[in-house]
Amino acid sequence: MNTLLTLTVANLKGLTRDRAALFWTFFFPVMFVLLFGVIFSGSSNSKVAVGFVDLNGSVASRGVQTALSGDKVPLTLQVGTLDAEKAAMQRGDVSAIIVIPSGFQDSLSAKNPVALQLYTDPTKSTTSQVVQSVLGELVNNMNLGLAGGTALVSLKPESLSSTTLSNIDYLVPSILAMALMQLGVFAAIPLVEQREKGILKRIGATPLARWKLVGSNILLRLIVAAVDTVLILGVGMVVFNVQITGNLLAMAGFVFLGAGAFLALGFALAAFLKTEEQANGVVQVVQMPLMFLSGIFPFDFMPEFLRNIARLLPLTYLGDALRQVMVNGTQVAPIGVDLAILVGWLVVCLGIAARSFRWD
Amino acid sequence: MAQTNEPVISVTNLCKCYGDVKAVDGVSFTVGRGEVFGMLGPNGAGKTTTIEILEGLRKPDSGDASVLGMDVTRHADSIKQRIGVQLQSVALFPRLTVTELLDLFGTFFAHHVPTNQLISDLDLGERAHARSMNLSGGQQQRLSIALALVNDPELVFLDEPTTGLDPAARRSLWELVKRLQAEGKSVMLTTHYMEEATELCDRVAIMDHGHILEIGTVQELIRRRFKERAVFFDSSATLPAETLAHLGGVTRASQENGQTVLYSTDIPGTIGALLAAADERGVEPHGLGIRQATLEDVFLDLTGRALRD
Repeated sequence: MNTLLTLTVANLKGLTRDRAALFWTFFFPVMFVLLFGVIFSGSSNSKVAVGFVDLNGSVASRGVQTALSGDKVPLTLQVGTLDAEKAAMQRGDVSAIIVIPSGFQDSLSAKNPVALQLYTDPTKSTTSQVVQSVLGELVNNMNLGLAGGTALVSLKPESLSSTTLSNIDYLVPSILAMALMQLGVFAAIPLVEQREKGILKRIGATPLARWKLVGSNILLRLIVAAVDTVLILGVGMVVFNVQITGNLLAMAGFVFLGAGAFLALGFALAAFLKTEEQANGVVQVVQMPLMFLSGIFPFDFMPEFLRNIARLLPLTYLGDALRQVMVNGTQVAPIGVDLAILVGWLVVCLGIAARSFRWD
Repeated sequence: MAQTNEPVISVTNLCKCYGDVKAVDGVSFTVGRGEVFGMLGPNGAGKTTTIEILEGLRKPDSGDASVLGMDVTRHADSIKQRIGVQLQSVALFPRLTVTELLDLFGTFFAHHVPTNQLISDLDLGERAHARSMNLSGGQQQRLSIALALVNDPELVFLDEPTTGLDPAARRSLWELVKRLQAEGKSVMLTTHYMEEATELCDRVAIMDHGHILEIGTVQELIRRRFKERAVFFDSSATLPAETLAHLGGVTRASQENGQTVLYSTDIPGTIGALLAAADERGVEPHGLGIRQATLEDVFLDLTGRALRD
């Protein structure tokens, strides 16, 4: 046990004396939080921009406009002609267009059915849903009012979580997940380097048990994981006022499980890589898509086919679990599924590493 | 040379293949207690594979190998407690200092020599707090040997300990090996260098293509092959080796590194005949000299090529 700690301390010294390694393991994730925090906190206004085309110009149509412009309504109206708004939607300035037809007021007076037209952008399914639900509620209320009934049951938009969840709240756990993934996958590089230089072989010629060598490597990375977690959450809380609401024990559990799962991936990669150059390249090839396709950026913004890819990647589930336990974020999968997938990933990768890893 | 009681290394019919390549093919030898035993051979001869089997780093395909009386496959851990290992060209944890590395390796063993003592024994005092990556080649090699001595081993394996060192650093390593022997340790080393084997080793084994070709003291090996001495001179087109093979006393003539070498049992007769033959053709042999056969000659004779080819 004493040897295990001594070896871990030696590894830790090696890490802290290597400036490049220090930068990538500790400063890079913090920079990421700061950078994305600044980018996203500027637009903490999470209202959806919507084009509003009034072809009726009546009291009734202005009433709709006023109703949709309220503070509590998550829409920002941009009034204009249909052509102008369609062009705006093409440019991505608005996510949907609401059109009040020319005979709107007359139809209402005559109690004839009339339809509000809604143009949506199929690539922005979430925002379309927001607009549809807002309009749906409005239409329901109007129908009730016109039919002379009183709305006995109404929907008071009390957010459970996702609406008050600002972008930075979403991003901090995501960036933490990313940092844990990177520290695990990047662990392949020093391991391959130590094998290439014969350090593993040299230690193999001493009576040191191999499990201690592996154990000290795992211990080192878990220490790094803990430090990274404190740094990332600290910056998020202090600089961007992120509220950590979840259970700390569950959070720590997922932090270490996630670090372990990706460390196992790093070990499995190291089993197949022969040179340090090779390791540097392959590790990038593995971590880049993981980083960009795993919902580090909000899942809902992804087009459908990317979401399907994301569902195959373990980092998606680590991010999802951390968001659920830390900020009570909306889920991609139930927490039990996240747990099962991460444990499964850990076991499979460790199995591959144990079978295929070469010491010289 | 106290080659008494049981040998520290005993190898019988050892074989190890990598795919189709027989790296070690039926090797047998013993090393006595207190002996410095050298294994000579070109790259790829199987020296490192043999030594790594004895160190417990590789498993043999067949044959028996025991170190300090214990079988290498069954008692690797007990063996590792009592041997010292220096591997070919190892960079150690580059960012740890000399002291830290010696302390760390000490914890791997049941008992170990104090770090201060190793540092002074290996003359690393000035560099005790330098990171291993900043050491010179000779210092790195001394550190590597200090690490091999951390457990005060009975038997030390040195795999090409002086490759890549300058002559002064090589000399100081030779002194160190002699000191180890004086302390009663046994040493097995591999080398490319004939003069190293001649200087240090009580006995040498010459290895090529996975086989041991000869084993013995350097003098035995030379005498076994060469009853004759050699007359040599700078090669010249007017005095081709083939035409000199029948001169008086010459047993064999060859071209080696730009020199023509005549192996002879009758040196005065051969020189007389050579000078007469040169005079006849109106030339004078340049760089004329006489020498006894060396380990290099033995090697060349055994393998048909020079060691560093």
